[in-house]
Amino acid sequence: MDLARRLFMTQAARVTAGAAFVPLAQVAQAGINDQPPRRGGDPTKRYAMLIDLRRCIGCQACTVSCHIENEAPLGKFRTIVSQYEVENEETGALAQFMLPRLCNHCDNPPCVPVCPVQATFQREDGIVVVDADRCVGCAYCVQACPYDARFVNPRTQVADKCTFCAHRLEAGLLPACVESCVGGARIIGDINDPESQIARMIDEYHDELMVLQPDKNTAPHIFYLGMDERFVDRPEARPGLWDVRDSDGAELGYEYAEH
Amino acid sequence: MQSIEVIAPRYDIAWYPWAVQYFFLVALSYTSLWLAFPGTVLGLERWKPVARLALVAAVTTAIVAPVSLLADLHQPLRFWHFYAYFTPWSWMSIGSVFLPLFVLLTVALAWLVWREPMKAWRGPGLVGGVARIVTLGDWTSPRWSVVLTGLGAFAASIVVAVYTGYEIAVIKGRPLWHTDFLPVMFVATGLIGSTGLLLVLDRFTGTRAAELRAMGRAASRSRATSRQLLMVLLIACVLAGITAALWFAVGLGNRDPSVAAALDSVQDNPDWRAMTFRAIATGGLLFLGVLVLLLRPQIRGLAWVFGLLALHTAWMFRWAVLMNVQTVQRQTAGFSEYHLAMGSGGLLGIVGSFGLWLAVLMLIDIFVPWRAALGGAGEPAVSPDPKGVPSHG
Repeated sequence: MDLARRLFMTQAARVTAGAAFVPLAQVAQAGINDQPPRRGGDPTKRYAMLIDLRRCIGCQACTVSCHIENEAPLGKFRTIVSQYEVENEETGALAQFMLPRLCNHCDNPPCVPVCPVQATFQREDGIVVVDADRCVGCAYCVQACPYDARFVNPRTQVADKCTFCAHRLEAGLLPACVESCVGGARIIGDINDPESQIARMIDEYHDELMVLQPDKNTAPHIFYLGMDERFVDRPEARPGLWDVRDSDGAELGYEYAEH
Repeated sequence: MQSIEVIAPRYDIAWYPWAVQYFFLVALSYTSLWLAFPGTVLGLERWKPVARLALVAAVTTAIVAPVSLLADLHQPLRFWHFYAYFTPWSWMSIGSVFLPLFVLLTVALAWLVWREPMKAWRGPGLVGGVARIVTLGDWTSPRWSVVLTGLGAFAASIVVAVYTGYEIAVIKGRPLWHTDFLPVMFVATGLIGSTGLLLVLDRFTGTRAAELRAMGRAASRSRATSRQLLMVLLIACVLAGITAALWFAVGLGNRDPSVAAALDSVQDNPDWRAMTFRAIATGGLLFLGVLVLLLRPQIRGLAWVFGLLALHTAWMFRWAVLMNVQTVQRQTAGFSEYHLAMGSGGLLGIVGSFGLWLAVLMLIDIFVPWRAALGGAGEPAVSPDPKGVPSHG
């Protein structure tokens, strides 16, 4: 059988299997834009991350190691540390505020129900992932995420996002950003396991922890310790360095120009 | 607190001008179908001239709209995944089922209506040959088939109108989109656009001139088609105005955060302020212009100019909603810049989809005697020579 024919047969099989995988009961139960059932992953676990901002120095080691581990194109980030220079209006004193951002692996992820082909889904362990072979690149999920945690990868032309380095977790390793964090600010773990460091810290600091954009009702599972509530929503800030241009005004530092 | 975001990453837009083209063309299509409904399905004699134009508008835009939609996918060849993995809880997936249905039924309706006059064109030559094949026999399109197909297309058009609106309005990640007023506004501006398109078609396909010639100069001021189109346009303007005012009023009462988000954007950015003033001015000018044209029949020859303005309004609304809103940063400082690219993802895509629409319109104009449909007078200058292309001077 030649390759083209074999490909066609596989696709035809997928079409049939796909049709069979939409049980009628599900159609009846799920209202429009409701969360579909989770699938895959370990149902006994719920991965989450706690970021101890008191320990973050804004070195961007997580940004770089994530880029290398997950091969995100330059200019696109699965994680990045927002760095703010804050001035006290009365005293004029300056302070730095560092805010690592990544996918919040929400319990009510707005990116999941919008996907028209169920390519993006939430695993039973809470990790939100994208099936790159199924994704049609409609970018609906990119629009739906209030945290700008998703992008369409210009190289693969499908949706791309943080997976908590699921491939590393499965191999018993820590995510690249956690592994490389010099201050030990990022703590990942299973919040269902009361003995885990993250579960113990959530217990200990319960009243101090904050999440981003809580009013969006997404139930984020990235918890910030040492957070300032003025940074929970989009902070009032002026952009500093926007993008880097050379003397002719041509853009430097981005691998891909505007699409 | 004053703060600077030291390095603000720029998040590119994810939907390109193709999306604007799709939302524009599909809205023109479903609202045109509604304008064709009274003359075609209900058989109202007074609305048949409007229906003749509206059917052409509905079919041409229905054919081109899905092409733009497909082009906005980053993986267009995977479109079949929509059908392999049907997802009833996603508005986009629901749309992927009803959009082809709408296109199919609209084309079928036009075929049933157009094949009647087309039968007279059967003969030798290319145009005659196409008429021979397309009419599929000498039978008369039964009235019930037109009514049933029309009702089906109408039902599908309602779903398309609802899904295109809620697909956007459901996104709480972009507060400017997350309002129930948006779907209503899409319909109202769609109707503004389609009546505008019909006024332009009325002028440039020669239907207006032909009808005026037949009526004689004295009676020309009482031409019903122009009055009907202008009246619908006026109603659509009022509907859009009321919707916008209600949205604003509800937002000021703090019950619609999308208004607060809009005010933030307008305050922060001079481009947004300019855009808002332009939009209000254009809407006001359109409303006043249409009102004057309704009151002064002797200058209705200018109606097509306001038709173009109406099309511009419908298009710009979609551009502002779909493109400009994407430049509002959601968690980092500033606005992300968007420069219209020259290539197929930008300007070429916009020009190209309009070009494709024009090509479809010309093909229909060459091969289909649409002016003679629904008891129309037909082509005044149809050449009896089968080798010649009909001219509409």
